[in-house]
Amino acid sequence: MTTILTQTVARLLVAPTFAVAAAILVKGYADVGDGFAAGVVAALGVLLLFASIGAKETHRILPVRRAFTVAMAGLLLALVVGFAPLLVGDPPFTHYPAPEAPVVRVGTLELITAVAFDVGVFGLVLGVVVGALDYAARARKGDW
Amino acid sequence: MRGLSLVISGGGFAAILALWLNGGGSVDVAWAPALELRLAFELDGLAALYALLATGIGFLVVAYSTRYLPLHLEHEGRTARDEPRFYAFLLLFLVSMVGLVTAQDAILLFVFWDLTAVASYFLIGYDSHRRDARANALMALLVTGISAVLLLVAALLLYDEYGTFSLPILFEAAEPGALVTTAGALVAVAGLAKSAQVPFHFWLPRAMVAPTPVSAYLHSAAMVAAGVFLLGRFYPLLQTSGLLLDLLLWTGIASMAVGGILALTRDVMKQVLAYSTIAQYGYVTFMLGLGGPEGAVAASFYVLAHALMKSALFLTAGAAAEAAGDDRLSRVGGLARTHPLLAVGSGLAAAGLAALPLTAGFFKDELLFAAALERGELWAVIAVGSAALTLAYVARFWASIFLGPRRGEARAIPAALVWPVVLLGGLVLAGGIVVEPLARLAAAAGEATFGAPTPADPAYHLDARAVNLMALATYALGISLYLTRARWIPLAVAAAGLGERGGPERLYRGVLRGLNLLSDRIHDVEVRDLRTRVASVLVPAGILVVLGIWVTPTGGYDPGSIGSDDIGLVLVLVVATLAALVTAFARRHLTLVLILSALGFSLAVAYAFSGAPDVALVAVLVETIVALLFLGIFALLPRDVLRREARLRTSRRRRWRDPLIGLFSGGIAFLVVWSALSRPAPEATVAGDHVRLAPDAHGSDVVTVILADFRGLDTLGEITVLAVALLGIATLLRRGRTA
Repeated sequence: MTTILTQTVARLLVAPTFAVAAAILVKGYADVGDGFAAGVVAALGVLLLFASIGAKETHRILPVRRAFTVAMAGLLLALVVGFAPLLVGDPPFTHYPAPEAPVVRVGTLELITAVAFDVGVFGLVLGVVVGALDYAARARKGDW
Repeated sequence: MRGLSLVISGGGFAAILALWLNGGGSVDVAWAPALELRLAFELDGLAALYALLATGIGFLVVAYSTRYLPLHLEHEGRTARDEPRFYAFLLLFLVSMVGLVTAQDAILLFVFWDLTAVASYFLIGYDSHRRDARANALMALLVTGISAVLLLVAALLLYDEYGTFSLPILFEAAEPGALVTTAGALVAVAGLAKSAQVPFHFWLPRAMVAPTPVSAYLHSAAMVAAGVFLLGRFYPLLQTSGLLLDLLLWTGIASMAVGGILALTRDVMKQVLAYSTIAQYGYVTFMLGLGGPEGAVAASFYVLAHALMKSALFLTAGAAAEAAGDDRLSRVGGLARTHPLLAVGSGLAAAGLAALPLTAGFFKDELLFAAALERGELWAVIAVGSAALTLAYVARFWASIFLGPRRGEARAIPAALVWPVVLLGGLVLAGGIVVEPLARLAAAAGEATFGAPTPADPAYHLDARAVNLMALATYALGISLYLTRARWIPLAVAAAGLGERGGPERLYRGVLRGLNLLSDRIHDVEVRDLRTRVASVLVPAGILVVLGIWVTPTGGYDPGSIGSDDIGLVLVLVVATLAALVTAFARRHLTLVLILSALGFSLAVAYAFSGAPDVALVAVLVETIVALLFLGIFALLPRDVLRREARLRTSRRRRWRDPLIGLFSGGIAFLVVWSALSRPAPEATVAGDHVRLAPDAHGSDVVTVILADFRGLDTLGEITVLAVALLGIATLLRRGRTA
């Protein structure tokens, strides 16, 4: 099923997929998309690689073994962003800057803590999907 | 850990003593102001008494453990690596105990109360490789933990009425009445269960599976004491009701009788002491039930004196078992000749428990007799009877270990197993000569309990006053009981057997077994296979929906008309419907997955038609990933298994049941959607608020703002599920590979 064509396309698509994911993540607050969608798009890129060139080859190109770490780091980031406001006496999930306060913008990216939370979601989703896939692939192929 | 425990318990004792001598102290800071919870602590007389016991005896127990625990671990075949766990939980218990007795907020009190239960579970079950240790630790946790919920219920009842969790304000405001009586009864049950009073007493003898220092600590100065502490703390509420005082009175009498009689029948040293503890705390409950200032101060003094003596006797049991190589009274004896110091130390403690003159114990009974006499002659007779029982079993305990011919070995034991006993015995003796410091502490605790000054001036009076005559009667009765024990011990054994056959422990086991069976049954029905599991969610949910629609009819069912703009949507939904129908007939797994994803994709298109691009995007992505994961998993399964499963015919019963369940739940879902669509759109909805507020959150994509900001906590909960799923996959697949 996997021909030279699909293999080449899959390899070529990795970088654009991640770029699209980054775009969806960054402009999530202004337009369609959010961390979850971005995470799934990025994971799809990795999935395509797995399907076309196999797990072993994918491991050579991408740090797939880090998937578990990425997922847990994402969860940790989301937790920290969510509950850090408790430290200054605000309810959990208070985002900064406050309503109507000025926001620093870098292109369409708004520097607000809600975006950091979204980045956490992105990391978790990417890590979980890729990690699940990788564990399944390795379960079949044996330890390597 | 060992050094830290010594420092914290010893330093804590010194600090609490210094603080109390300087008039106490209090801390009060906000904890969760929105819930009106405060971190309020105060070192009043009652708190000082129990905190000094918890830290002081804690210190001696830790010192004893430094030598005892290595021996214990060696007997159990364990390594020194298990030592820190012991000290950690002992320390947790000690700190929670100090927190518990100083807490001035009902919820705070409950939190520490539960912490002591948790620590006690790990301490009692310390030898966790033994099945009985685990089961008995669980029993202690269940009995004291379930009853602890009653304490929380009482706190909430009182909060509902008086609007505060602050104990001093509550006690000030509480009016005698049904509510306060109910709350008081709940608190009393929690306290009595922790104090191992009849009918909750059965957990305590079982808890003797713990290492001896744990028993010495939990059952003299800490866990069981926490129960009567709670009664003392809530005494202002309890004493508003004569009914509650009578409850305490009779529970105390029952516990004195059951504990005293059974203590005479036991052969294992720690079992004798366990039943003795039930009886001794029965005295305290009895005295609190007598009411009045005399009862309050006598109870406080009793707790203080008893903790010193009982911890000494428990530590003696551990040391004697170590010396003789056996823990049964019938297998030891004559240790006085080889271990004179231990014999003297524990002899003083035993004399104290038996209330002989020149020990602090004499005064505990003097105050008991005075309080009982105050209430009436009947109670005085009961008090004398129980005190005589105490003397009889204490005499039997001490004499069997130290007197008579030597049975068993007489090994040398480390000094650290002896000097804590000698120190405690010395304190008992010193308290019998100069009683003033102990009496002062007890009077302060009594005052905090009773809410008014409770004078206590225990002293020796060399005349024929009533309490002295009662003491003499106790000695005479107790000694004759001891001497004639061969005659009536069979009777006591028979009574004990009767209690085992029909007692509350049997009820506990029956209930536990019943609950386990019920749980297994439900588990079998629910998770026999994937279909029953799905059905067990869908069918009850459907029934609830039917009930909901039946009880609150929504009126007409009118979903509106279909215009020419809707043709695209209708076409997509037709595709979705067809796909859904085909899934019911597909046989091959691959076909099934492809049809399912066709269904998902057409729904995604439907979202796009409804102007929800965010949802549509996520739906497309999720469908893709799910389909691919399915295919990946099929690749893992052997081909022939898949082929065999696809050819499998459903059983006759299944053939009717599953479609019926599907039709039922599908119909219910249809009903819900229809009724939701036929409702007129409300003017102001939460969704409207979200759209309006999104710019304030610096966002123009409302869905993202809802996910990350307005409903951020929900999102966090949901993504945590993902993380847990990954952990599950990792564990399963890794295990599967290595096994």
